[in-house]
Amino acid sequence: MELTDWVKVAAFVGAGLSMGFGAIGSGMGEGYAANKACEGMGRQPAVADELLRTMLVGQAVAESTGIYSLVVALLLLFRDFSVVNFMEIPAFLAAGLCMGLGAIVPGVGEGFVAGSACESIARNPETSGVIIRTMLVGQAVAESTGIYALVVSLLLIFVV
Amino acid sequence: MEEIGKVSQWVFHLGDTRLVVNSETLLMTWVVMALVLAFGWIATRGRGMVPGPWQNLAELLVQWFKELVRDALGEAYEKRYFPLICALFIFLLLCNWVGVIPGLSEPTKDINTTLGLGIMGFFIAHGTAIKVKGVKQYLKEYFRPIFFMMPLNVVGELAKVISISFRLFGNIMGGSIIIIVVSHLVYGLVLPPFLYAFFGLFVGTVQAFVFMMLTLVYISVQIR
Repeated sequence: MELTDWVKVAAFVGAGLSMGFGAIGSGMGEGYAANKACEGMGRQPAVADELLRTMLVGQAVAESTGIYSLVVALLLLFRDFSVVNFMEIPAFLAAGLCMGLGAIVPGVGEGFVAGSACESIARNPETSGVIIRTMLVGQAVAESTGIYALVVSLLLIFVV
Repeated sequence: MEEIGKVSQWVFHLGDTRLVVNSETLLMTWVVMALVLAFGWIATRGRGMVPGPWQNLAELLVQWFKELVRDALGEAYEKRYFPLICALFIFLLLCNWVGVIPGLSEPTKDINTTLGLGIMGFFIAHGTAIKVKGVKQYLKEYFRPIFFMMPLNVVGELAKVISISFRLFGNIMGGSIIIIVVSHLVYGLVLPPFLYAFFGLFVGTVQAFVFMMLTLVYISVQIR
């Protein structure tokens, strides 16, 4: 095989690793949030609308590391392979692995935050405004490490 | 598909220095600024005791942000930081929404915009800290709890800038890349409007709120 083919192999394996691992955390986290929202609705059917809204917003934020994985996978898949160099082989593999593994735990953590927010709203519906605000800020900070993984992946793809 | 990762640029030469301007970002920022000004003009035109729809919207925003800033910073700082926080949110919201209109693109898709706003927030927060606590007390904070924690504290402060600006950039750019790829795969049929609604309107609103809220929290951490 020629160098171009090897670079393509690296990019495709990297894309698979990125999206495959990246799907784990977000899926778990979002499932946990839905679980807590269902529990809360059973306990307090009166606030079902509020709970549904909180659950969807929390899940959408918990999904963002999964979206970063998808972006890295798409960037690797639809790359222009006409000019290649040897160092792109390890760089693409590392980019996929970095974003894939880096997306797992932020996704789980953000899902936990969303789930607990749903639980608290079911217990004490009057404080929903403060809870949603705190949830968004907490999720944003929990996501930081996932963002660092995205930064490193983008550097590996575009700078090397 | 070719537009992924491409940036349209104007290059100027001043003697030996090479100036590069990201033309699309610059133009779109001007468009957003014009929209913000237009909103302000429409909302304040013909003010009255019985507000029209635009005045009502503006009053709602102002009241909501005043309460938000008062909750976070307290009465004493409300007046000074409320305009900054309100303007930041409206500007970012329109930045993220403007990509929904065909032919326009989000200025926040460019890392320079978000990093600039992040660095602005950093300097405002630390300037406030020096003003409130004094230089000596401000520098002392870095050596807590023990003196050798200083490098970690400094890195932690710098990491805040990186994470806040890359969060906005990553979400908006990721959304636009997914829209481009999906539109290419389905030849622009059916799916893209829903993707625009999700990534443009929904994620854009949440991320504008998160960016504004984090800037506010960073300022309040320095004051307390």
